[in-house]
Amino acid sequence: MQVENQKIWEVVFMIKTWHNTFACFLVLLFGFGLFYFGTNGFQAFTAETARVNKLIDEKPKFPDVTFEDSKGRKYSIAEFEDKYVFITFLYTSCTTVCPQLEMNMSKVYDKVPTKYIGKDVVFLSISFDPTRDDPSTLEKYRGYFNSDGETWRMARIANQSELDSLLKAFGVIVIPDENGNFAHNSAFYLVDKKGSLLDVLDYKRMDEAANELIGILDKEAGE
Amino acid sequence: MKQFLYGLFILVFLALPPVANLMESVMIIHMHMQMPLLIITGFLFARLFQLRFPRFFEKWNRNGIPGIILFGVIVTYWTMPRSMDEALTTQGMEVFKFISLPILAGVPLRDSWKKLKPIVKNIVFYFFIFVFFGMGWLYIDSPVQLCNNYLIIEQITLGWGFITTAICMVIYLIYVAFVDPTKYE
Repeated sequence: MQVENQKIWEVVFMIKTWHNTFACFLVLLFGFGLFYFGTNGFQAFTAETARVNKLIDEKPKFPDVTFEDSKGRKYSIAEFEDKYVFITFLYTSCTTVCPQLEMNMSKVYDKVPTKYIGKDVVFLSISFDPTRDDPSTLEKYRGYFNSDGETWRMARIANQSELDSLLKAFGVIVIPDENGNFAHNSAFYLVDKKGSLLDVLDYKRMDEAANELIGILDKEAGE
Repeated sequence: MKQFLYGLFILVFLALPPVANLMESVMIIHMHMQMPLLIITGFLFARLFQLRFPRFFEKWNRNGIPGIILFGVIVTYWTMPRSMDEALTTQGMEVFKFISLPILAGVPLRDSWKKLKPIVKNIVFYFFIFVFFGMGWLYIDSPVQLCNNYLIIEQITLGWGFITTAICMVIYLIYVAFVDPTKYE
């Protein structure tokens, strides 16, 4: 008798609390959904990863801008038609990440077989600080990294609105601080022969970036 | 009702564009001041909801567990670097922040906390100590800039903010465990 009573009470209790249990379940499900969609399926926990993933999906076109390189020559991206372009964004007064970025870029440059250099692929460092980085400054800066100014060029975009359009299209975020420095995100950008962004690569993983680039070039050469 | 109005007043004040912009311009104020204040507004709203819909809370948040899980989910979500960044860049996320933190975190916290057993309360503390140490470590140690809208130095400041908060929670737990308040009454 007592056992039965207890059973009845258990059932009554379960009925009374099912809402609560269901709510727990619902809340957990909601949490899962929130994190799932909030991180693109647990892929991107920072806006930077999300940005890079989105860029690779969208493959934006390189906007029409006028470069002015270290030799004072002016041209648009059409200069590199039918060539892959390996790009970094920097400013020469930078003392932290930019030298590292350019150093890593030079390592990628050295890894690429010379038969491709200049013919199938061009390296391009773009300054987002056009006021300070005039051609002569860039000319001096390029020397530090053994850039030849031809197959690896350094250029500024003198027109601020053109520069902004490029930074926006390629998701480069540049925040000036009070000391005349910039906080910015860094990566290797690979643009294909038709001027569309092909990939965004981690600038700290030079080997991976070089292998990917060489792989693409080898494949093209084989065809 | 009075509480609700106070809450509403704080919420509207926080949502004023100059106030919101100012608070969001500093990373640590964004996360450790604006967001907690939003939760407090929800806390103030809760009373009215409890009086208006007592059946709802009684039925769906009987033992306080669903509410506290919801609170945990929402708060953890807003500690992610990405959520913060997106609140600054997308209008929709900003609106979601101003709704989710009061309604989905503040309200359930107030309703749940009194219902929770002491052991569950401790688990909640353990959870947040764990999350805050983890997040603090992430923000301090990360060699890359996690948030595109903030500088690395701000990120490190925020990381220490997390660690300090976590330490405070640890101290509180130790205090609760070893000090018997009745001795001092």
